[in-house]
Amino acid sequence: MNCKKARVLMSAAVDGELTLKEEQDFLAHLAECKECDEEYGEAKKTKMIIKERIVQFKAPQSLINSIMQLTSITAKEHEDTLLYE
Amino acid sequence: MKKPESPRQIKTKTKKESLSREEQQKQLEFQKEAVVHLNSLYNYALHLTMNPDDAEDLVQETYLKAYRFFNSFERGTNCKAWLFKILKNNYINRFRKNSREPGKVDYDLIKDFYHSIKDTRSDTTEAESDYFHSLLHEEVYQALHSLPEEFREVIQLCDIEGFTYEEIANMVESPIGTVRSRLYRGRKLLRAQLEEYAKKYGFNTDTEDQ
Repeated sequence: MNCKKARVLMSAAVDGELTLKEEQDFLAHLAECKECDEEYGEAKKTKMIIKERIVQFKAPQSLINSIMQLTSITAKEHEDTLLYE
Repeated sequence: MKKPESPRQIKTKTKKESLSREEQQKQLEFQKEAVVHLNSLYNYALHLTMNPDDAEDLVQETYLKAYRFFNSFERGTNCKAWLFKILKNNYINRFRKNSREPGKVDYDLIKDFYHSIKDTRSDTTEAESDYFHSLLHEEVYQALHSLPEEFREVIQLCDIEGFTYEEIANMVESPIGTVRSRLYRGRKLLRAQLEEYAKKYGFNTDTEDQ
């Protein structure tokens, strides 16, 4: 595998989207190419930073309520009906 | 919870023309399969709209549509991916067509937005290390949003939401090779951006978590 091919596959390597053969060839290339190896390390780090630093927020209660209402309001009517007598 | 069917109940049922068993089943299933992704959808909507109120509207609209078309969802496939696609389409129809220029980034908007969101979270006391921590959060956010939209989107879908390439390809309607190359280039750009911020704040991205 040459550098050009390695770069094409690099993100797939970071994300575990390579076939076994591709992965083997890719890693073999990294073993003998310092540049690609470094670039691979940086790509992995970048992914990690995104995963860890981008904060995921909790949906506001108002939204939770309205979505729950959406899917259970008719069920609730039904339930009320049953309980009514 | 099952109750014995008394004549009275039956009468009430037909009178109210209430839920068929099928409909009940659908709702339960929807709650289990779709509603569980509420937080993810909300965050995706936030990324797209940069506005909590718009995000909320967008998510509601998405769930309404999803519920209506739930029968067309192929069971066993990734429901989250399906919902994301609906949300993205809604976003394009609702927001992109009208307001801002596509792809234009408003840095002030991002800064304000991030601070407004930060305030609503329950934060611990800001020690000095926390300051750098949260500073880096914001810079990462800004760096991500400085990317061209097609790069930012795949990074979001891959790194933050954890979709597979195949799922992403379907969502953004491009071949897998394109997804791959966008991720490659997007991460490179991001790395360059982060380097800038890291230098500015004397924070080396090499030494990660303290």
